[in-house]
Amino acid sequence: MNGIPRRARAAFCALLGLAAITVTAANAVNEAEPAARYALRVDGLACPFCVYGLEKKLRSLPGVERVETNLEDGVVLVVLREGAALEEAAARQAVRDAGFSLDGFERVASGRGP
Amino acid sequence: MIHSSAGEAGLRARLHVLCVALAGALASLPGTTHGAPQTFDTALPVAKGEFVIRGQLVAVRASDDPSPADRKLEVVGGGVVAGYGATSKLALFGALPTLRKTLDVAAGGQRITRRTTGIGDARVFARYTAFQRDGRGRSLRIAPILGLELPTGDDHDRDGLGRLPASLQLGSGSWDPFAGVVATYQTLAYQVDAQIGYQANTKGDDVELGDELRLDVSLQYRLWPRALVSGVPGFLYGVVEANLRHRDEDEIRGDEDPDSGGTTLFLSPGLQYVTRRWVLEAVVQLPIVQDLGGSALEDDYTVRAGFRVNF
Repeated sequence: MNGIPRRARAAFCALLGLAAITVTAANAVNEAEPAARYALRVDGLACPFCVYGLEKKLRSLPGVERVETNLEDGVVLVVLREGAALEEAAARQAVRDAGFSLDGFERVASGRGP
Repeated sequence: MIHSSAGEAGLRARLHVLCVALAGALASLPGTTHGAPQTFDTALPVAKGEFVIRGQLVAVRASDDPSPADRKLEVVGGGVVAGYGATSKLALFGALPTLRKTLDVAAGGQRITRRTTGIGDARVFARYTAFQRDGRGRSLRIAPILGLELPTGDDHDRDGLGRLPASLQLGSGSWDPFAGVVATYQTLAYQVDAQIGYQANTKGDDVELGDELRLDVSLQYRLWPRALVSGVPGFLYGVVEANLRHRDEDEIRGDEDPDSGGTTLFLSPGLQYVTRRWVLEAVVQLPIVQDLGGSALEDDYTVRAGFRVNF
């Protein structure tokens, strides 16, 4: 460390501190208002080509960030943007518009990803 | 001569059956949104407010002519079908085929080829899902279909030898309503579709083509992946379809034509690869039974290949 100029050491420490503050702040935001995720059980979903229209309808709902389907289970995971919420009635209507039936609607444990 | 050959009426009958089958296949959106039959419709839905486009190429060859005319017929067609989900249960479809018909006959010690190319008769129809029962990874639906074949194809086409015979015209010149019911049972492993349809052909210029009854059944079985993985994998289906067609005799200036009408049963193996966004498919229709009126040409084979895209 003796070979490193004092000014450089000071700058490195400052950057390290800034990074720590940023991570802490981000975690605080996550804990305060995590992105909501909902698991929709969709009946009648039985082939890949069916999935497109359903996902498109769900993605068009306000606040939806992404939609992920597991065809085998008939479960569609809807991930919302931070601060957004999904009403069951809206989800049911979107599923119905796509030509399928909503059999289950559940908010699942929060997290940044599935 | 072509107009007076013994099998002309039969040929006309055969050609019309082929063209109706072609237009019907193009008009139907098997699966407008799914793995589905390739030669007829399905009861599965088109999402409300969404479009589906289907393109299909069809090649038909018929050459088993017992008469001295030794007729050989080829029909190559392509077309685009658009489907729109008006509601979650009501889907509207429109189809416009393009046809190229070639007839090769022996006449006066030489062979004569007559050919025409252009758009055929368009079809518009509506399909309403009257019954729907969904479960996890499965669905049973029944949907009546009502539609109309429009006389958009040229029925007064000519070549260097004069006006083409009715068998080679691209259109029927008549407004022909049709109706049917399609039922679909779909699971993650397989799908079964069945359809019954009837087309009431009306009078064109001089000819009133016979009405047509069709019965279709299709089985699609998932060949790959054998075991489902998470997410939405592409499916490869093996397809077997059966198509029964019966058409009444034509009427020419009020008289029934004995060389027209008849019954044909096709067995049709094929493959279909289905993803979220698109479908690629191909099927070969092989005639198993052909009981045609008079001296009609019998089919050799029909090949269909196409794609579908979700928008």
